[in-house]
Amino acid sequence: MSSSHPPTPRSNPSLMPSLSLIIVGVVVIIAGALGLTLLVPQILPPQASTQAQQVDQLFTFLLFFGGVIFILVEGLILVSVIRFRARPGDLSDGPPIHGNTMLELVWTAVPAVLVAVLAILSYVVWVNTRAVVPNEMTVGATAARFAWTFNYEVSQDTLPTTLNFSDLKPEVQTDLTDEDGVVHFSNPKLYTWVDQPIVMEMQSQDVNHAFWVPAMRVKQDVLPGRTTEIRFTPTEAGNYRIVCAELCGSGHGAMAGEVGRDGELLGAWLIVYATEEEYLANFFDDAATAVLVPPDDPALLGRQILASGAYPCATCHTLDDQGWTGNIGPNLNGIGDRAAERAQTTGDADGAAYIEHSLRHPGDFLVPGFGNLMPQFNPDQGQPNYMPQNDLEAIVAYLLTQTANPSN
Amino acid sequence: MAAVTAPTLPGAAIEQPKRLRVSDYLRWSVDHKIIGVQYMATALFFFIFGGALAMLIRWELLTPAIDLMADGQAYNSLFSIHGTVMIFLWIIPMMAGFANYLVPLMLGAKDMAFPWLNAFAFWLIPPAGIMMILGYFVGQTEAGWTSYPPLSTLFSGDGQTLWALSLHLLGVSSILGAINFIVTIRNMRPAGMGYFQMPLFVWAMLATSIIIVMATPFLAGALTLLILDRVAGTAFFNPAQGGDVLLWQNIFWFYSHPAVYIMVLPAFGIISELLSVHSRKPVFGYRAIALSSMAIALVGFTVWAHHMFTSLTPELRIPFMITSMIIAVPTGIKVFSWLGTIWGGKIHFTSAMLFALGFLSMFVIGGISGVMLGSVPFDIHVHDTYFVVSHLHFVLFGGSVLAVYGAIYHWFPKITGRMLDERLGKIHFWITYPAFFLTFFPMHLAGMLGMPRRVAQYAPEFQTLNVFISIAAFVLGISTFILLYNMVHSLFYGEKAGANPWRALTLEWATSSPPPSTNFIGDPVPFPNPYGYGTEAAYNYVESQNKKYGTVNPSDYEPVEKIGPLSAGTE
Repeated sequence: MSSSHPPTPRSNPSLMPSLSLIIVGVVVIIAGALGLTLLVPQILPPQASTQAQQVDQLFTFLLFFGGVIFILVEGLILVSVIRFRARPGDLSDGPPIHGNTMLELVWTAVPAVLVAVLAILSYVVWVNTRAVVPNEMTVGATAARFAWTFNYEVSQDTLPTTLNFSDLKPEVQTDLTDEDGVVHFSNPKLYTWVDQPIVMEMQSQDVNHAFWVPAMRVKQDVLPGRTTEIRFTPTEAGNYRIVCAELCGSGHGAMAGEVGRDGELLGAWLIVYATEEEYLANFFDDAATAVLVPPDDPALLGRQILASGAYPCATCHTLDDQGWTGNIGPNLNGIGDRAAERAQTTGDADGAAYIEHSLRHPGDFLVPGFGNLMPQFNPDQGQPNYMPQNDLEAIVAYLLTQTANPSN
Repeated sequence: MAAVTAPTLPGAAIEQPKRLRVSDYLRWSVDHKIIGVQYMATALFFFIFGGALAMLIRWELLTPAIDLMADGQAYNSLFSIHGTVMIFLWIIPMMAGFANYLVPLMLGAKDMAFPWLNAFAFWLIPPAGIMMILGYFVGQTEAGWTSYPPLSTLFSGDGQTLWALSLHLLGVSSILGAINFIVTIRNMRPAGMGYFQMPLFVWAMLATSIIIVMATPFLAGALTLLILDRVAGTAFFNPAQGGDVLLWQNIFWFYSHPAVYIMVLPAFGIISELLSVHSRKPVFGYRAIALSSMAIALVGFTVWAHHMFTSLTPELRIPFMITSMIIAVPTGIKVFSWLGTIWGGKIHFTSAMLFALGFLSMFVIGGISGVMLGSVPFDIHVHDTYFVVSHLHFVLFGGSVLAVYGAIYHWFPKITGRMLDERLGKIHFWITYPAFFLTFFPMHLAGMLGMPRRVAQYAPEFQTLNVFISIAAFVLGISTFILLYNMVHSLFYGEKAGANPWRALTLEWATSSPPPSTNFIGDPVPFPNPYGYGTEAAYNYVESQNKKYGTVNPSDYEPVEKIGPLSAGTE
C-alpha cells in the first residue's frame, strides 16, 4: 500500500457529454419547463382582475425560466451521480481539472442576461399594474385588530331611487347639503362591480396590517401613521376572500373572511357584482337607506349599526342575534341579564352605565379569562376608534335587549 | 499514572492525547476545539428545542381552527420563538462551532488568534438562550422573529424585552467571534498558504465574518431603540408620537438580510469541501467560488428592502428588485461550479456526500423561488404567505441544515476519532431528504393559492394541503433522532477513524483524530493546492501523512460490515 503511484483508474467516462445526450437534455429541459407553465391556472387562485392577468403572465415567464434552471441543475446532478459514481474499490481520483474560463464566463453571463430580462419584464408589469385609470372609485379602508372596515359615502346625487330628498329627516338633509355634502357609512365587506376600477386608501388604527385579495393579486401593508394606496380593477363577478397578510396579533388569522355554518359570508370579503345595477340593488341602496332613514327605536338603531359592521365587534365576540362567532373576547349572548349584575361589582350605576363604561374604557374591568385586547372607542371625532355618543347609546340600548339567550 | 503528559518536542513521536471527559466541555476552556464542540452541542440542544416547537406548529395546523394552543397569542409565541431559536441559537452558533473547530486546523495554527475572547463569545450564548426561553413566563412575545413594531412595542408581552436583550447578547457573541476569525485568517496562515491557497470553508468564514462585523451593529441599534420604546417611554416606532414603523423594518432588514448570508455562506464553504473530497476531484473554478462569496457579501448589503415590497414606498421597490436579482448571479456561479466539480469525478456516496448532493439539489429550488420573490409584481402576491415560508426553509433547511448534516458526517471522525455509522447515515439521508421536500415544497402552493403565513386559523380549503405537510413534517422531525442516536452510539462504539479517513488534502486531516491539544506535532506543511486531487503529488502527500499518523482504513467507502479488522495505530 506504500507504492508511490496512485491506483490506476478502471475506466474513465468521457467528460464531454455525447451529442445525443445534449439533444435529449435540451428537449427535456424545454418540454419540461413548458409543461410546468401549463400548471399555472391550477396553482394560482381565480384570476379576477386586470392586475391578476398581468401578474400571472409574468409568473408564467418566471416559472418557465425557473423550470429551465431547475431541470438543468437537477438533470446534471442526476447524470453526474450515475455516470461518475465510483465503482466499488476504485480509490483513484478524478482528472485534475481546475476550471475552464470559457465555461465560467458562460455561466456568469447567461444568468446575468436572464435576470436582466426578468427584471425588465417585472418592471413593465409593475408599471402597468399601478397605472391610474379613469373613473376610479375611491374606497377608504380602516384596519384594526382584528377586522376590516370599508367606508362608503352617499350624496344627493347618489340617493337610492326609492328615497326623495324631501322625505329625509332634517338633520340628514343638513348632512347632505353641508360643505362635504355626503353621509358616511361603513361595512365589513368591500363591494364593487366588474370593470369598476378601485383605489383603496387605507389606514390602520393600531398595528401593521396588510390588505390582500389573492384573486386580485394585490397586496399592500396598512401602516399606522400613514395612508397607503392600492389599485385594482375586477374582471370577474364573485365573492373573494380578503386576507390580512401582516402579523397583527392573536386574531391575525381571524381577520380573513370566513364562511359561516349555513354558507353565509362572514367578515372581510370582496363582493364583485356583474353590473353596477346589481351593486346598487343588492348593496348600496339598502345600506344607504339604512343611514339616511334611521329607525327611531334606539334598540333597532343599535342593531342596525352593529349589523353594518361599522365597528369591528364580530371578529372577537359571539352574539347569535348578529351571527357573530368570535372567541377572542367574551360571549355577548345574554349580556342584557349580566350587565346589571356586573355593574354592582364595578361600581357602575346600572347595566347601561356598565356597557357604556366597557366601550369607552374596555381595559378598566376585564372579564376573567380574557386579555386587554379590545380597542377603546372614543367620543371625539379626531380620536382613533371614534364612536359618536348617538351610536353608543343605540348600541347600549340594543345590547340590553339581548337577554336570557338559551344558547348561552 | 501521570495526569499530564510532558510537552512534546517538534518531530517527537505521536503524543498520546489526554482523553477528554464530558466535564472538560462543561467548563471554561480556551482550546478552540473544545469551544467548537461547546458551540455545536449547545446549538444541537436548541435545534431539538426549536424542532419541537415546529412540531407543535404543525400539530396546530392539522385543523383550520385554533385547538391545540390556548389562543392565537400562544401560537404567535410559538413561531416567534421557533424562528428566533433556529436562526440565532441553532444555525449561526452551529456554523460558528464548525468554524471554531476547523479554521485553526485548516490553517495549521495552534489556536484562534484570541483564545480567551473566543471562550467569552461562546459563554454569552447559553445565558442568552435561556433568557429568551424564560421570556415565555413573563409575558409572551407574539411579534414573530422579525418583531415589527408597533405590535412588538405597544402590544407584545414582556417576553419581547427579554427577546431583545437576548439577541443583544447573541449579537455581541457573534461580533466577537467574527473579529477573531478575521484576525486568525489574516495573520495565522502558515508559510506557503496565500489567500488563494486557503480552503474554501476558510474563505466562506472570512466573508461571513466581514458581514457579521459590518451588519450586526445595526441589529444592536434597532434592538436598543426597541427596548427603549418598550421600557423607557420613547417613541422611535410609535407614529402617534412622531415615530415611524418603517424605521424598524429598514434597520432590522439591513442586518437580517445579510444574516441570511451569515447562515448560508458557511454552508457554501462546507459544500465546496465535501463535494471535492468525496468526488475526488479539484474544486472547479476555485477563485470564482472564493470571490463570489465576497461578491455576495457585498451585494448582500444592498438588497434588504426586498423584504418590504408591500410596505416600502412604491417608487423605491424597483431599485431593490434590481440588486436582489443581481445577487442571483454569484450564487449561480457557485451552483454551476459545484456541478463542474462533481462532473467527471469519482463520486463516493458517503453519507456526507449524499447530504452535499441533497443540498445542491434543494438549494437550487430556494434560489429559483428567491428570484421569483425578487420580482416585485409576483412578490406582491406571495409576500407574507406560505410561499415565503417555503422559500426560506429551502434556503435555511435545504441549504444550511443539510450542509450541517453533511459536515457532521464528514468531520465527526476528526472531532471524535470515530466514524459515524454509514448505514444509519444513509437511512437518515433517505428519510430526511424526501421528508424535507414533502414538508416544504407544498408550502409554495399553499402560499400561491392564498394562505398567509403566521396564522393559527386558516381557510378550510387549505386543510388537505396542511395535513399532508404536517405528516411529512412529523417524519422529518423524527428522522433527526437517527442522527442523534448515530452520534451518541458512534462516540463509544464507532469504528476508529484514523487521521484522514477521506484521504483529504486540507490541513485538518494532517493530524491525529482527535488532534492533540496543540493541534499538530511540529508545523504542518500544507499541500500547495487544498483540492489538488488527481495528481501523483497529492497521492504521495496523503501517503506520507499515513506513515506519520497511521494508515487509513483501506476500504473506507465500503459499508462497515465488509471491512476487515482495523489496522489502527502506527506502523
